[in-house]
Amino acid sequence: MKNQIKVLRAGYDWSQAELADRIGVARQTIIALEAGKYAPSLPLAFKLSKLFNKPVEEIFIPESTD
Amino acid sequence: MKTTTNPTTRAGRRYLAEFGISMTAYVAVCLFWMFHGASGHWKIAIALLAMVPAVLVFAAIVRWILHTDEMFRRITVESLALSGGATALIALTYGLLEGAGFPRPSAWWTYSVFMIGWIVASSFLRRRYK
Repeated sequence: MKNQIKVLRAGYDWSQAELADRIGVARQTIIALEAGKYAPSLPLAFKLSKLFNKPVEEIFIPESTD
Repeated sequence: MKTTTNPTTRAGRRYLAEFGISMTAYVAVCLFWMFHGASGHWKIAIALLAMVPAVLVFAAIVRWILHTDEMFRRITVESLALSGGATALIALTYGLLEGAGFPRPSAWWTYSVFMIGWIVASSFLRRRYK
């Protein structure tokens, strides 16, 4: 699943470690999320949505709409 | 030690501390057994005494799974499941071979296969998310 986390994070000028601390995960999890290698749970997706003040569907883009 | 509000970092540090203390206690009991020895009922008591820190290691792993973040929890649980499945298959295969005359191995083999399987599966799954 593609996402806008890296772009949004850059907009706030946060490092990966800072974002990890803000949502309570490991930095490696942020790396995996930004690389699109890990799809987060709904609670984590909503946490990111609240933090970036954007709807979930604007942050996460499914690979296929089938 | 630097303080942190990140629950995953806190869980990692706590796990390392608990694991370190428990393993030190385990090694101390094993060394005591090796150098002082024991006989009769004491042999059984000291053998079981080594299980106290082993149970504490297990508790540290459970606490780590419960308090780490969702990606690491997934990696840990998936790697434990893969290792458990592989160990069961190997034990079943060897159990059948025992029926064909193969020698009966020590129970330590099952533990070793499971732990090696867990390390291998864990490093493979971690690489998948990099």
